[in-house]
Amino acid sequence: MTRIALPTGDLRGEVAALLESAGAGIPDYAAGSRALRFPLEDGGVARVFREKDIPVQVALGQYDLGICGSAWIEELTRRFPNHDVVRLRDLGFGAASLWLAAAGDTCDPSLRFVSEYPNVAEAVARRLRLARYRVFPVLGAADAYPPEDADVVLIAARDEADVASHGLRPLWRVLDSSAWLIANRRSLASKDLSGPLARLLSAGSSPHAPGALSVPASLGLRPLERAPRRTLRLALPDGHQQPDAVDVLQAAGIRVPGYDEGNVVRRPQIDIDGVEVKVIRPQNMAQQVALGQFDLAITGRDWLFDHLVQFPSSPVEMVVDLGRCRYGLAAIVKDVQADTVAGAVREWRAGADVPIRIASEYANIADHFGRERHLGRYSVIPIAGASEGFVPDDAEILIEGIDTGSSVRANKLTVLERFYESTNCLIANKRRPDGALRDVFDRIIERFRAGALQPAGVPGS
Amino acid sequence: MPELAESQLARGMRDVLPDEMARLRRIESTFGTTCAAWGYGEIRTPVIEPLHLFTAAGTLSPQTLDRVYSFLDWDGWSGERVVLRPDSTIAAARLYAERLADARVAKLFYCQPVLRFTDNGSSREDWQCGVELVGDTGRAGDIELVLLATDALARLGLQDVEVRLSHAGIVRAVLAAARLGPDEQSAAYDRLLDGDMSVVDDVESRLPQLDAPLRLLFEVEGSGSAYVANVRAALAAALPGLNPALDELAFVVEALEARGVAPRIAAVLARRFEYYSGIVMAFHHGGVRIGAGGRYDELIRLVGGRGVPASGFALFIGELAPFVLAPAAVTAVVSVGATDDTPQGIAAAHDAASALRAAGFTVDTLGDGAAVRVVCRNTAPKFTLEGDAAGSYERIEDVVAALERAR
Repeated sequence: MTRIALPTGDLRGEVAALLESAGAGIPDYAAGSRALRFPLEDGGVARVFREKDIPVQVALGQYDLGICGSAWIEELTRRFPNHDVVRLRDLGFGAASLWLAAAGDTCDPSLRFVSEYPNVAEAVARRLRLARYRVFPVLGAADAYPPEDADVVLIAARDEADVASHGLRPLWRVLDSSAWLIANRRSLASKDLSGPLARLLSAGSSPHAPGALSVPASLGLRPLERAPRRTLRLALPDGHQQPDAVDVLQAAGIRVPGYDEGNVVRRPQIDIDGVEVKVIRPQNMAQQVALGQFDLAITGRDWLFDHLVQFPSSPVEMVVDLGRCRYGLAAIVKDVQADTVAGAVREWRAGADVPIRIASEYANIADHFGRERHLGRYSVIPIAGASEGFVPDDAEILIEGIDTGSSVRANKLTVLERFYESTNCLIANKRRPDGALRDVFDRIIERFRAGALQPAGVPGS
Repeated sequence: MPELAESQLARGMRDVLPDEMARLRRIESTFGTTCAAWGYGEIRTPVIEPLHLFTAAGTLSPQTLDRVYSFLDWDGWSGERVVLRPDSTIAAARLYAERLADARVAKLFYCQPVLRFTDNGSSREDWQCGVELVGDTGRAGDIELVLLATDALARLGLQDVEVRLSHAGIVRAVLAAARLGPDEQSAAYDRLLDGDMSVVDDVESRLPQLDAPLRLLFEVEGSGSAYVANVRAALAAALPGLNPALDELAFVVEALEARGVAPRIAAVLARRFEYYSGIVMAFHHGGVRIGAGGRYDELIRLVGGRGVPASGFALFIGELAPFVLAPAAVTAVVSVGATDDTPQGIAAAHDAASALRAAGFTVDTLGDGAAVRVVCRNTAPKFTLEGDAAGSYERIEDVVAALERAR
C-alpha cells in the first residue's frame, strides 16, 4: 500500500495532470475537493498537505512518496543534512527561484534576513561570512518587511520582474526550484513501490540535477545605524484575524482605510497623526514587537503564548485583551478510549515506548505541552496548515485552535484537553517609547481599551 | 541488567566508563601539571557562545560552520543564535579580549569539549586539552608551544611523537601570486582547508612563471631545514612572496632541531580553521593525528579585541587516550560492614571506614563479604578482620595497624 503526499496550492493543477497522464489520476484531487485524503487503487492513500510540510512528512517516513518544490527540500536539507528524503526526478513544472531582495541600499549592522525559508537564509548568511546577522522566520508576507523591519528578504519568485512587483530590488538568485518527486529512503529500501514509481517516473520531464545554492560575494548593502523613529508603529494582522481586528478598530474609533474593508494592504493609512501601520501575519508580531520594530500590534494571545514559551525573557506583554477572535487551543486525538492525556499515552504505549507525535502550527506550544504533560519521548511535527486528518495516522496528538468544536465532532475527533483560551489582544514592548511618542502610545492604548469594553462593531469614543 | 531495545544515547555522543575515565583524567592532570610547570594558568569557557563569534571571515571554514550546533536560546527573541562551543581557541580569544586584555602576555590552558555535527557516525563531542599563548611572543612563542606539547606528550609516555609544521603564509602567498581577488583568495583558501586539492591545478594555471610544479609544494612533505631550503630553491624565485613564511619556518625548525625535535614540513596542515596566520603545527603518534594548532594573529581583533598576536594548540583527548596507560589501579579495597543491620551498626561501620580512609585505604562500605566486620550490639564497637590480617580487635587503630602489616 503506497502512501503519497500531494501538494495543495499552486502546484495542485499540474500535479493532478501528471497523475492523470501517469494513469494514476485522482479525480477529486484534480477537481479541488476540500477532502484531504484520497484512497489509491493499491489500497494506499494520497494525502494533501501544504507544500512546505511534504518533505518533512516524507523524511519522517509517514509517506513513501511526495511531490513538492525543491526549494522546500533544500529548506529541510540545510537544517537536517542526514534526512531520509531521496530526490527521484525533476517533474519539469513549478519553476521558481529563491531570490535575495532588498528595498534599500543600507542595512542594519546586524543584518536582518526575513524569510519563509529560514534554514536556506541561514546557509546564505554563513556563506556570506557576515560578522553578525539575524534571520526572522515568517509564515508569509515576507515581502512586507523591508526596509523598516528587515534588510534582506529571501523569497520565492518566478523572475526578477516578479520580485520587483513586490516593491523590492532583486539582489541575487540563490536557488532554482521546480517540482520534484521524492521518496523516503527506508521505503525505497524495503517496500515495493514499483507500480507507482514506474508510472510517476515515466510521466515526468527529462531529469535535471537539483539546483545548487548560489551566494554572491557580497550583498552590496551599506551598514548603517538606524536613526531613532519619529513615528509610532502599529502592526495589524492579515488572514483570519483581520475581520476581528477591523471590529476592534471600529470600536476604538480608529479608521484604517483599505484595511477596514478587509483588503490586503500592507501599508495602509491611519487617521491618527504620528502613527504608521503595517499589515503582517499575526504569528510573527510578538518577535517584531520584542525587537522594537513595532510599538504596538494586534495579534492573538495564542501567538503571544507561543512566542513566550519559546523566549520566556522576551520583553513583550499584552497591554489590552481585546476580547474578540475567541477560540481555545486543544489537544485533539482520534480513536482513543481514554479521556485524559495520561490515559491516552498509556494506550499508545501499551506495546512499546513509542514516541508520541504532536502535530501543530504552534510548534513551541506543542513542545511546551509535551514537557508540561510529561509525555516522555515525544516529537513535535511543525505543520503549515491542512491540519484536519493529521490524527491518528500522521500524529497521535494535534494541537489546534477550536471554536465551538463542531468541526471536531464532524470529523469524529476527540478533544482530550482544552488547555488555553485565546482572544485577540494588543501587545507592546515592556520598554515604552520616549517623549512625544509616549503620549501617542498611551492615547492609542486608551482608545483600544475603551473599544475592548464595547460590544463588537460599536465605536468606543 | 535488563537489555534495552535500543540505546537511548544521542547520536554521536558516548559514555565513558571508569577504566577509560581514569585514563582521560590522567591525560588531563598530566597536561595540567605540565602547563603549570611552564607558567600557564587554567581557564574554562562557557559551553554556549554567540554564533556571531564564529561566523565572521577568518574564523572557521564554511564546511565547519555548516556543522555547528546553533539554535535560538530561551532569550533569543532578537533572532541572533547561539552555538554549543565548536572551537575553544575562538572562545579563548573572546575571553582574552574581554577579561585579560591588559596582560602583556596571557598564558592559558584548558581541558574542555568542542561539539560539532558529524554525519559519518563519528563522535560529535570531542574533548581537548589546549593552550593559548596571547601576546607579542613571536617565533619564540611558536617554539615554546611545540616544546610544551612534546613535553606533555612525553610525560604521558609518548616518546616518538612526530611534529609536523607548516606556515599559513605559504598558501596565502601562492594565492596572492595567482592574482586572485580577495574574495577568490578566500574561496580558494577555504577549498584547500576543506581538503579540495583540485584548487591547486586551478591556481597553477594562473602562475606561468613557476619553475617547478606547484603540486611539489602541496603533495611532497619533507623533513626539517633541508626541505625548507629545497622548497625555497624550487619555488621562491617565481614566488618571492613565499620568503617571509619560509624564513619564519626555517627559524622555528632550526631551533627545534637544536632541541632534538625533527619536524616534518607540509604546505597545508590547518583543516577547517581560517584563523591561522603563521606557523601551523600538528602532532602525530602511531599514524594518528593527536593534536594541532598554530599562530592566529588576527583572531583577537576579529572577536572585538585589540590586535594582539597569539598562538596555541590542542591535544585531542579521544585520539590520545588509546596510547596512554591508565594510572595504576587501586590494588586493595577494604570492605567494611556492620554485623547488625541497625542505624547504630551502620554508623559505627562508617566511623571505622573514615578512620581507614584517613590512614590511606580505599574503603567500600557496601561490598559483599566484608573484610572488616564491625560488631556494635549496644556496646562500644569491636572489629573482626578476615583474610591475611584475621583476628579480633578492640580499637580501630589496631585494625589499621593489622591491615598495614598485611598490605
